[in-house]
Amino acid sequence: MMKLRILALLFCGIFTTAIQAQIDRSTMPKSGELPEINLGEPDRYSFKNGLELLVVEDHKLPQVNARLVIDNKPIIEKKPGTASLLSSMLGTGTENMSKDEFNEEIDFLGANVSLSSQSAYASSLKRYFKRVLELMADGALNPKFTQENFKAEKDKLIESIKSSQKSASAIAGRVSRALAYGKDHPFGQFTTIESVKDITLDDVKNMYRNYFSPKNAYMVVVGDIKSRKAKRWVKKYFKKWKEEVPPSESLPEPRNVQFTQVNLVDMPNAVQSEIYVQNTVDLEKNDADYFPVLVANQILGGSFGSYLNMNLREDKGYTYGARSRIGASKYASRFYATASVRNAVTDSAVVEFLREVNHIRDSIVKPEKLEDVKSKFAGNFVMNLEDKSTIAKYALNIETNDLPEDFYKNYLKKINAVTAEDVQRVAKKYIKPEHLQIVIAGKGADIAEPLENMTYKEKTVPVMYYNKKAKKVDKPVFSKEIPEGVTVKTVYDQYIEAIGGREAVEKVNSMMMKGNASVQGMSINMIMKRTVDGKSLMKMTMGGNVLNKVVFDGEDGYTMTRGQKMEMSEEQIKEQKKSAGLFPELEVDEEHKLEAIVPVEGEDAYVVSTAEDAKAYYSVESGLKIMDKKTVKQGGKEIVNKGKFENYQEIKGIKVPMKMVREYGPQTINIEMKEVKFDEGVSASDFE
Amino acid sequence: MIRRLNLLLILLLSFGFSQAQEIEYEQYELDNGLDVILHQDNSVPVVTVGVMYHVGAKDEAPDRSGFAHFFEHLLFEGTENIERGEWFDIVAANGGKNNANTTQDRTYYYETFPSNNLELGLWMESERMLHPVINQVGVDTQNEVVKEEKRSRIDNAPYGKIIYSTGINPHLFNKHPYKESVIGTMEDLDAAQLDEFKKFFDNYYVPNNATLVVAGDLKKAETKKMIEDYFGPIPKGDSIDRVDIKEDPITEKIEATEYDSNIQIPVKMFSYRTPSMKDRDAYVLDMISTLLTGGKSSRMYKRMVDEEKIALQVIAFARSQEDYGVYNIGALAMGETPLSKLAEVMDEEIEKVKTELISEKEYQKLQNQFENKFVNSNSSIQGIAASLATYNVLYGDTELINKEIEIYKDITREDIRNVAKKYLQENKRLELDYLPESNK
Repeated sequence: MMKLRILALLFCGIFTTAIQAQIDRSTMPKSGELPEINLGEPDRYSFKNGLELLVVEDHKLPQVNARLVIDNKPIIEKKPGTASLLSSMLGTGTENMSKDEFNEEIDFLGANVSLSSQSAYASSLKRYFKRVLELMADGALNPKFTQENFKAEKDKLIESIKSSQKSASAIAGRVSRALAYGKDHPFGQFTTIESVKDITLDDVKNMYRNYFSPKNAYMVVVGDIKSRKAKRWVKKYFKKWKEEVPPSESLPEPRNVQFTQVNLVDMPNAVQSEIYVQNTVDLEKNDADYFPVLVANQILGGSFGSYLNMNLREDKGYTYGARSRIGASKYASRFYATASVRNAVTDSAVVEFLREVNHIRDSIVKPEKLEDVKSKFAGNFVMNLEDKSTIAKYALNIETNDLPEDFYKNYLKKINAVTAEDVQRVAKKYIKPEHLQIVIAGKGADIAEPLENMTYKEKTVPVMYYNKKAKKVDKPVFSKEIPEGVTVKTVYDQYIEAIGGREAVEKVNSMMMKGNASVQGMSINMIMKRTVDGKSLMKMTMGGNVLNKVVFDGEDGYTMTRGQKMEMSEEQIKEQKKSAGLFPELEVDEEHKLEAIVPVEGEDAYVVSTAEDAKAYYSVESGLKIMDKKTVKQGGKEIVNKGKFENYQEIKGIKVPMKMVREYGPQTINIEMKEVKFDEGVSASDFE
Repeated sequence: MIRRLNLLLILLLSFGFSQAQEIEYEQYELDNGLDVILHQDNSVPVVTVGVMYHVGAKDEAPDRSGFAHFFEHLLFEGTENIERGEWFDIVAANGGKNNANTTQDRTYYYETFPSNNLELGLWMESERMLHPVINQVGVDTQNEVVKEEKRSRIDNAPYGKIIYSTGINPHLFNKHPYKESVIGTMEDLDAAQLDEFKKFFDNYYVPNNATLVVAGDLKKAETKKMIEDYFGPIPKGDSIDRVDIKEDPITEKIEATEYDSNIQIPVKMFSYRTPSMKDRDAYVLDMISTLLTGGKSSRMYKRMVDEEKIALQVIAFARSQEDYGVYNIGALAMGETPLSKLAEVMDEEIEKVKTELISEKEYQKLQNQFENKFVNSNSSIQGIAASLATYNVLYGDTELINKEIEIYKDITREDIRNVAKKYLQENKRLELDYLPESNK
């Protein structure tokens, strides 16, 4: 008895270990046979007005949806925004119902109906579907366009354009499309506040009349409904829809850029750069290259495990995700690779993008990788069929892209036939490293300099600047946010501290500088003298002759040019008084304003405006004054008078710039100081 | 006779709630405490394997905001049998999709495969639960990735502080960890150390704190055996200390301003602290959201967007959470409309809900809208799997997947008025001005 028990226990023990030994976790379980693919066919019906109906029955849940797609050629909008206004006006009332009645009934039925310029969608519980389909038809076919609703929708559209103005990703998206396809191509056009303001109610009505036609229209019904019933209902509600032939315009041909370049849009608020690396491609779904391209893109940036993501996210941690896409369309399409990366690594991320783009062209994909990608297509293909609308979508694709009837039946076969050589061949054909546009929307102040200095394969990539409307502009001046607590006073204090400290500076009563300037090959000697009580002298001589002399005694003064003496005007006196003294930074003038932080030749500087047309620049790091700038009006033109201060050296405990580079319009003058003295070499007679 | 019966059936079908869509499932517990839920549906060749751990941002140490979500990233780094960087390749190479997400209350991981890879899915999730490799390389890489995620989702995104509550919760919670955001702060992310991650795993990533759900094209007996094989040997952990922090009631209106450099159109928001999502009142508040902003005929949309044209858009949504919810009502200003005007109209609409019963017709509309939502929520295997896990882990009642609609059906017009009265009080809310940075 006892023995038996032990035996039983033992047996149990063995049994449990046996179970545990059955699995070997150290190796990955093998997949079973791929489930059978059951690619159903939708039921089809054609109506006299051109409308085609596709129905897929799916009785799993008591709901039905209907999607209407008008497959017109893309429309070039004379006034971009017309289509989106048409979309938002559809559903704001019909010939039979007011807007409120229409919205109220749809909501009451717990249904969704959305109408747009080239499509419509409705979904509801099965038991309300008939009425919901009728409502969708009424909204789409009998719209009532009123001036009142037009104005309301227009205002809303303008407001929503405003709302996206500061979104780096929205701006990057639209600029990248505009630069790829051109601003006059339907795929590159975008809506602006100005273009919307131009749109009239008639523009909207015309677009509806011209393009909302059953001629190229497809209706797809999916759900818990018998297909004969769907046909009956669609016929009932859509047979009155009159066929019009939509106008067809030829589309401009997108062109790739001649050389690879960065196209930068400054978004001062951005904390991440939105990057698109792109070129246009000539590819359609029915091309032989279509399947190799699908596979190639999958390897490059089609999924988490792709070259791009594994490099930029998993290896470098530059981004939350990097992806790519190669479009295929009968009209126009593009290749792009994209990611959002933090400002500081923008240039490095671009280099990695270029590296991977070349990687897929220059080397043969590993066999395992290729196999993995093919399995992914197979798995996704199976999984997509969970959603019954996939069957309808496939049927619709065949119709609208002129594909062979067995396109999706052969889909996996075609994917499986793609070789590693095919992948490389199409990568070379469709991805063009010599003709890439690298469109970036990001914070110029942080990213522009590194991008301009970025090298790939020992070459820099030209950086061009664009505004938010995809228009080429001069390189903007990028400003940075001023940290909290920094004011004109702290900037001036930092400057005084940097040149020798308040105590040393306040002791000085006069200053004398002798220097030598070279202008267009000529050598000019100059002397400057200034006193703490506002007297000043500047004298320029060449070969012993006085060219120019400016004297100011604190109250009055004159200029002498080649022997001609001219008394100062009141305005000149005022100006002299303002700039008098030795170190104006010792006190803060109330008119002085701290404006921004901008880079000056790579060095961040505080900008202080000292007058309406004058600015001074102080290095954030060293505190020293590194530049001043004044805008002078001359003969109706604005001329910038700019001076850079370099080579600060200590003289009697105070640092002085020994080199000054003045730019006056197109002219540059280099001034070298030969001698600088404090409280020496200045007498009252100098200012007579 | 049969004819008559048919007629009766048709009548029943057209008037009753749809009976056909009952989600069948079987639930049991392994010896190590792991809850298992199976849902069999052989009509599509797809299977989802998901594991929900009852740990989220609210379980983080006070100065480690973002830790739970950071940890979720780490658990894709590899296991003793899955090399670093291979997780995603394995899933993809087998035709699957996977992802994970973290909330204040729980962390959910899942894979969806063609059904021939069910065993693979079980292996991967059991590997993750048994012995993931948590090392410094992973911590360093994912630290950067998580920061990029924060920048993408919140710092660079218009209205990010509303969408992810980082501009709302700190004002509504003083003690409860809900005051911190799921994504965390850069400083806290940087401070997190390797040992802390290891400890976090030992505490929370144990079978007795998790629910495994397997849904789709499966055979039950076979699946149960595989589950026992892969998950049975994982040792049980210590019992979990749950967060138990009570907030003092809000008694005075909180006024705050938040700035967003990615926007130009300001928002006026009212936010209320509300009870746990398990509380019946939370369901009533959900209905009030739909009443106010669900669809173009909803009260706030119709009045503020359509008729008076003072708002570009209106929003009302509940942030459902285990301990407390947050209920938000707000509007984006149209043109030059001052935020005070939006507040005034929102208050009028709230007052109406508090004092007048909604009409019978509105009531029926709400019921229809919720029924439609309910039917939609079970439209994919992946969705069903997530719902089953959530109902078990957070609500402690898996059957809600079929019965939740009953709760909504039971809500009366009086309930709507009373709940509005109870929670939507001026002195208990946050009034937030959400402004463009340039207004600073």
